[in-house]
Amino acid sequence: MRERHGDCKMKKIYIQEEYCIGCRLCEIYCQVKHSKSKKIIKAFKEEMIDILPRVLVEEIGYNSFAIQCRHCSDAPCVEACISGAMQKNKNTGVVTCDEDKCVGCWSCIMVCPYGVIRRNLSGKKIASKCDLCIDEEIPVCVQNCPNEALKFMDKDAKEKNPVGTKTGRKNEK
Amino acid sequence: MKSKNDNRKNNKMFKDNETIDYLIIGNSAAGLAAAESIRELDKSGEIMILTGENYLNYSKPMITYFLSGTVNLDMIHFKDDKFYKDNRLDVRLNTRVKSIDTDKMFLITDDGNRYEFRKLLIASGGRPIVPKIKAIGTKSSGFIDGTNYDKTEGIFTLTNLEDAVRVKNYIEKNGIKNISILGGGLIGLKAAEAFLEKGIDVNIIELADRILAATFDREASGIIEKKLKSTGSNIYMNNTIEEIHIGSGKITGYKLKDGEKMECRLLVIAVGVNPDTGFISSGSLDMARGIIVDDHMRTSAKNIYAAGDVVEGPDMISGGKRNIAIWPLAVRQGTAAGLNMAGGNKKYGGGFFMNSVELLGIPSISMGITNVAEEKEGFEVLKYLNTNQDMYRKVIIKNNRIIGVILVNNIERAGIYSGLIRNEIDISSVKENISREDFGIIHLPADYKKHLVVGEGIEV
Ligand SMILES: Cc1cc2nc3c(=O)[nH]c(=O)nc-3n(C[C@H](O)[C@H](O)[C@H](O)COP(=O)(O)OP(=O)(O)OC[C@H]3O[C@@H](n4cnc5c(N)ncnc54)[C@H](O)[C@@H]3O)c2cc1C
Ligand code: SF4
Ligand code: SF4
Repeated sequence: MRERHGDCKMKKIYIQEEYCIGCRLCEIYCQVKHSKSKKIIKAFKEEMIDILPRVLVEEIGYNSFAIQCRHCSDAPCVEACISGAMQKNKNTGVVTCDEDKCVGCWSCIMVCPYGVIRRNLSGKKIASKCDLCIDEEIPVCVQNCPNEALKFMDKDAKEKNPVGTKTGRKNEK
Repeated sequence: MKSKNDNRKNNKMFKDNETIDYLIIGNSAAGLAAAESIRELDKSGEIMILTGENYLNYSKPMITYFLSGTVNLDMIHFKDDKFYKDNRLDVRLNTRVKSIDTDKMFLITDDGNRYEFRKLLIASGGRPIVPKIKAIGTKSSGFIDGTNYDKTEGIFTLTNLEDAVRVKNYIEKNGIKNISILGGGLIGLKAAEAFLEKGIDVNIIELADRILAATFDREASGIIEKKLKSTGSNIYMNNTIEEIHIGSGKITGYKLKDGEKMECRLLVIAVGVNPDTGFISSGSLDMARGIIVDDHMRTSAKNIYAAGDVVEGPDMISGGKRNIAIWPLAVRQGTAAGLNMAGGNKKYGGGFFMNSVELLGIPSISMGITNVAEEKEGFEVLKYLNTNQDMYRKVIIKNNRIIGVILVNNIERAGIYSGLIRNEIDISSVKENISREDFGIIHLPADYKKHLVVGEGIEV
C-alpha cells in the first residue's frame, strides 16, 4: 500500500456541484473498486447486488451532485460508534469503519449529518461508507468523473491549483 | 472468561498515596473520552481511572450484541490495550468509590484506600431501576425489589457485562426459548433485538401505550407490534407485572395488571436506569435526578466535573437540564469535560435523546420530541406512511425548526435530520419536502445545503 497522506496535510474530496451532470460514473467505479473482482463486467454480472456505492448522486432535474463521507474533523459517527469500529486516523484524517468490529447498530447512520453511511446487509450487518480509496493515488470516483465535478486536494490547494482531477492528476496510472 | 487481551489486569503506573492530577470515576464512554481529551492537552499529567468492574474495557451497548452472539468477549471492547498505554492511563479495576470529600479533594474506595486529586471527573453512569413487585412463593419478604431480585433464579437486570454473561449462561443451561422483558424502552428493546436474533421469542410488557415511549408514537410502535405478533412474540401495552410467581427459588410465571397469568422462566427487568450517585453524600454537589452540570460539564464543586449517564446536562430542545442516557452524548460530554479539566475551554452544546433499534429486520431511528399533540402549542407534524411496506416517517416542527423525527424502515438518511435539529436550521422554505421518502441533501434549504456540499466538512 502506498503511503498517500503521510504527515502532510490531509487531502479531501471537494464537490463542484455545478459541474456534475448526474452520469453516476462515480457510483459505478466505487462499486467496482469495492467489489472482489475489481473488474467492471464481472463485478456487474456477479457481485453488483451485494456492493453498495459509497458515493451517492443526488439529483432533481438538472441539479445534481455526488457526495461521499466528508471525513469530518470532529466526526459525529466516531463519537457515536458503540464498538470502536468507526475510527478517525490521527495521521491521515481518514475516517474508516473496521468491518470486523462493526455490529451494524446504525448509531453512525443516526448522527452523520450528510447521510452518507449505508447499511450493508449482504453478509453480517455492517456500516458501509467511503474509505477514500486509501490504497489509490486518487479516489476512483474522482479519477473517473468526466467533468471534474469531484476534486481531490488539500485545503490550501482548494482555490489555487486543483489536483487529482482528470486534467490535473499528477500520477497517471 | 479470560480474554486474549488480558482483560483483567490492572496497569498501575503511579504510586499509591500521591495526589493524582486527573482522577476519573468510570472506565466507560464518558470516562475514556475524557481521558483521551485530557491527554491531548496535557502530555505529562497523571491520569488515573477507577472502576468498580473487573474488565479492562467493554462497551456497554455491546452487551446485547454479546447476548445475540454477534460478538464474543474478545471483541466486546471499544478501546484496546494500546489505547490505555498510548494515553498512559493508570486503570484500577475492582475499585469502587465509597465516598468523596469534595472540599478536601479526596475520595475513599471500598477497599479503604484514599485517593487525593487535583481534578476529578465523575462518570459513574447509571444503575438499573428495579420496581417493588409482590412476589408469591418467596420464603422471605413477599416482595421483589432492588435489594433481593437476584436471589430468585431467572430474574435479571441487564446493564453491565456481568449481567449479560449471567443471562447468556442461564439461557444456555436451561434451554430458554421464551423471555419476558419488563419495560419496552431503550434497554428492553435492545435486549429484545438480541433475543429475537437468537430465535428466542419475547414478551414485552410496557406501562405506556407504545414501545420506546421516549421517541416513538402509536404508528411506529404499531408497525413493530404487528411484526412481533406475526412471529411467536407479543407486546403487552398499558400493562405491568403485578405479581411474580416463584417456585423452589426460581421464577415460574407472573400475573399482569390486566389479570392475565403468564408462564415465565426468564424475566429481564428493564424499566430504566438511574444516575449512579450512591457514593455522593447529599449536599456536597448540586443534584436532581443526576448530578447537575453546566455547559462546561462543571459540577457545583470546584475542580469536580461530571459527564455521561450520571449527569443532568443541557437539553438542546427544551433548553433546560435533563438526564439523557445515551452513548453518543456520554462521549461528547466526556470529551468536553476532559478538555476543560486540562485547561481548555470547550462548550458541550447540549444534546437530545436518540435511538436506533432493529427488531425482526425492521430498522428504526427516532430522536428528539416526537409524541406531540399537533393542535397544541404550535407544533407541526408531517408524516409519510406506507402501510404495505411498513414505511413510516414523521417529522415534528416547532417555530420552523425540526425538533423530532421517527423513521421506520428507511433510515439511511436519518443523520441529515439530526444535523438539522442540532444546527437549528429554519426549514420553512422546504417544508413540503421534509418528510419525503427520498428526502436528501438536495432538498435542504439552499444555504445549509451549500454548507454541506461545498464546505469543509463539519467542525462541531
Ligand atoms: C443493554 C444496554 C444497551 C444500550 N444500548 C445503547 C445503544 O444502542 N445506543 C446508545 O446510545 N446507548 C445505549 N445504551 C446506553 C449507554 O450504554 C450509556 O449511555 C453509556 O454507556 C453511558 O456511558 P457512561 O460512561 O456515562 O457510563 P457507563 O457506561 O454506565 O459506565 C460507568 C462506569 O463507572 C463505573 N462505576 C460506577 N460506579 C462506580 C463507583 N462507585 N466506583 C467506581 N467506578 C464506578 C462503572 O464500573 C463503569 O466503568 C445502552 C445501555 C444498556 C444497559
Ligand atoms: S460518515 Fe458522516 S459523520 Fe462520519 S466522517 Fe463521514 S461525513 Fe462525517
Ligand atoms: S453500525 Fe458499525 S460503525 Fe456504525 S456505529 Fe454501529 S458499530 Fe459503529
